[in-house]
Amino acid sequence: MLSKELKNILLKVQKPGRYTGGELNSVVKDSAGIAVRYAFCFPDTYEIGMSHLGMKILYGLVNEREDAWCERVFAPWLDMEKQMREHNIPLYALESGDPIKDFDLIGFTLQYELCYTNVLNMLDLAGLPVRSGERKALTPIVIAGGPCVCNPEPLAPFVDLFLPGEGEEVTNDIIDLLKKHKALGSTKQEFLKEAAKIQGVYVPSFYSVEYNPDNTVKAVTPSNGAPEKVKKRIVSDLDNCYYPDKFVVPFLEVVHDRTTAELFRGCIRGCRFCQAGFLYRPIREKQAKTVDGQCRALCGSTGYDEISLCSLSTSDYTQLYPLLNGLLEWTEEDRINIALPSLRIDNFPEELMQKISSVRRSGLTFAPEAGTQRLRDVINKNITEDVVMSTVKEAFDGGWTAVKLYFMIGLPTETLEDVEGIAKLAQKVVDEFYHNPNKPKGKSVTVSVSASTFVPKPFTPFQWEAQDTPEAIAEKQKHLFESNTTRKVNISCHKVYTSVLEGVFARGDRRLADVIETAWKSGCKFDGWDDVFDTEKWEAAFENCGISPEFYASRQRSFDEVLPWDHMDYGISKSFLINENKKAHEAVTTPNCREKCSGCGTNKLNGGVCHALCKGMA
Amino acid sequence: MRSVRVWLEKDGRAIYTSHLDLNRCMTRAVRRAGIPLWYTEGFNPHPYLMFPLPLPLGQSSDGEPMDIRIETDMTDGEIFDALSRVMPEGFTVKAVREPWDKAGDVAMAQYLITLELADAVQAERTAAVIRSLIDGGELTAEKTGKKGRMKVVKEIKLSELIHRFELSWEGSFIKISAVLSAGSTVNLNPALMLDALCKAGGFEPVYTEIRRQKLLKSDFSDFE
Repeated sequence: MLSKELKNILLKVQKPGRYTGGELNSVVKDSAGIAVRYAFCFPDTYEIGMSHLGMKILYGLVNEREDAWCERVFAPWLDMEKQMREHNIPLYALESGDPIKDFDLIGFTLQYELCYTNVLNMLDLAGLPVRSGERKALTPIVIAGGPCVCNPEPLAPFVDLFLPGEGEEVTNDIIDLLKKHKALGSTKQEFLKEAAKIQGVYVPSFYSVEYNPDNTVKAVTPSNGAPEKVKKRIVSDLDNCYYPDKFVVPFLEVVHDRTTAELFRGCIRGCRFCQAGFLYRPIREKQAKTVDGQCRALCGSTGYDEISLCSLSTSDYTQLYPLLNGLLEWTEEDRINIALPSLRIDNFPEELMQKISSVRRSGLTFAPEAGTQRLRDVINKNITEDVVMSTVKEAFDGGWTAVKLYFMIGLPTETLEDVEGIAKLAQKVVDEFYHNPNKPKGKSVTVSVSASTFVPKPFTPFQWEAQDTPEAIAEKQKHLFESNTTRKVNISCHKVYTSVLEGVFARGDRRLADVIETAWKSGCKFDGWDDVFDTEKWEAAFENCGISPEFYASRQRSFDEVLPWDHMDYGISKSFLINENKKAHEAVTTPNCREKCSGCGTNKLNGGVCHALCKGMA
Repeated sequence: MRSVRVWLEKDGRAIYTSHLDLNRCMTRAVRRAGIPLWYTEGFNPHPYLMFPLPLPLGQSSDGEPMDIRIETDMTDGEIFDALSRVMPEGFTVKAVREPWDKAGDVAMAQYLITLELADAVQAERTAAVIRSLIDGGELTAEKTGKKGRMKVVKEIKLSELIHRFELSWEGSFIKISAVLSAGSTVNLNPALMLDALCKAGGFEPVYTEIRRQKLLKSDFSDFE
């Protein structure tokens, strides 16, 4: 329950519902019978964290255990942090209200690089030293998972252990091990040594990094029996893998406030810029009947009136028709809307459009990613302009009047002509609307163009590429705005410097930890928020640490350079990535994994099985 | 289709749920209860669910009326049971009845305000200050309103909106029972009155609780 002190504070901050807990389906246990208390921290606001599927899965999974209790923790917004610090209220978990510094496990999910200062800030708000070396006791153990763990080096000095890959199995392994060592009264070192033996556990303090005179990494050497390469964990069988039948239902509106169904993991497309498309391989599908059952359970336990079919490329799901037909049997009657947030533009048939629009019309979003065919071939986004136009035509025939188009600026080999192509393509979409005799009467069209900045990421074919300099990006953005001649097209772009910072941390090494700590100490937090982000403080932090961001962001690497994340094994073979990189520079596309296997190597993680190759799984 | 008025107690952590959030939260609760809501027949159909008098954030209530329109043969008792099973923490279904009065008939509301002062001496002194401020009848508060699109600050005379005011103190606690104007046209938020009292009287409670006890019609009879 809330203390009077906290209640007083809650009326002084915006959206106090972020900090109270007590939501439907949140799990409260008697701490007396609990061996391992786990604080699952999302290093961003409540509204963002509560939208995250991974947290819902792991929360439910841990709370299935009688000997463990998982609670949620989010980064308090600036106003709340101020109040907490003024009143000496340490960071607490929402379910119990207990300070997380007394927990056994503190887990962070690292979804994007710009949350790193929040990780430090949350540890500090909890009353813990941010550096793992200064946390001497066995507990709390600070762990971290999520996609950024594919290159965890910039956070290496702060986190006790990282969990590359999928968390369903390894989380339980860690809890079991910690429970054992707590009972034995082990030291932290003893626990970490054992933990490092588990597949999918990376203990950064057991690896020493040497550098070359030119500042590149010379070698990464393991000690204490830790493996040379840390292999990520995956779940093999999604049909029998834990999936929650309840979601915590927030009182206040969060970003994704609905039932989320996961159809499959991985992606067959191989778009060369897309880290997720490589990180989550191999493809593993769920049966339609499994998904249907999970949706029914979740809608029943939450009262949500929307189901989001969520995967990297929803329309590549081999059982999409049976799934939709099954869902529509009961969702229409229950007035439940089905949302397909991640559709590919090229295999989006009218029949499918009719099906979802018969329930309720959602917005239409396409991601051509690049403005010209040449550049789309470079990034292996195998969509032609004809396909874009015919799909848009179908959409307008079907009554849509708003189309969102996603692009990237700063892709390898990009020229100003490619940038101009974005505006031209958007213009063509507008023209298509006005030439369409079936367009909705008396309505105007809006085409929203979102042009984000490309950031080269580890484990993609572009991991060696130089990121555009801030100046180059700014010039391209300016050119894009100037190329647009119609008010029917709204263009929005990302802030330049945040993308650079994202690029620095995505491919950074351990020396960046000092920069993160310096920036955080100078007041940086919530760096993903444009209204909070402070460019000058970050520039000063790099300056004070004598580290050049350009070295990490805008430097072309050679194929034989030791990359800071080379000791992480995500199953993708380096020769495959090199080959893809070479093809990119020749503007040669690679067929999707269902047409032809390109031998990325990730199926080895799953006993040779990749569902991309099993057409129309039974 | 028929209308039903559900009376909900709101307490504990649930008091931090804003009015808009409450609407969504209760729509989901009714869905979980398996009670088919009637949907409006407009261009964008939405379930009919409304609160005659929104409760300000941070205040608890003995019974908030919530009006819903439903398409079912379920009896009031069955609805009571079905809803009771699915309520989130902090919400308790107190009654399910036919809506007797129209939502617009709400004219006043009765509140219980509890103030905790630093000690008994402070409480006694503050009680006297509050009493004289209320008896003086000159209490005013500033309220931001809208004039067209412009935001304007206007001064409102509170004494015209305070219809009953009883005060007692014990130890370091002061209890105030007040009947204040309430409704869609003239409404006095007790938190605003309290702020005005604190400002005018120059005191600051260490802790405050506000609880709405009931809604009244213009003749002081209960809104039902």
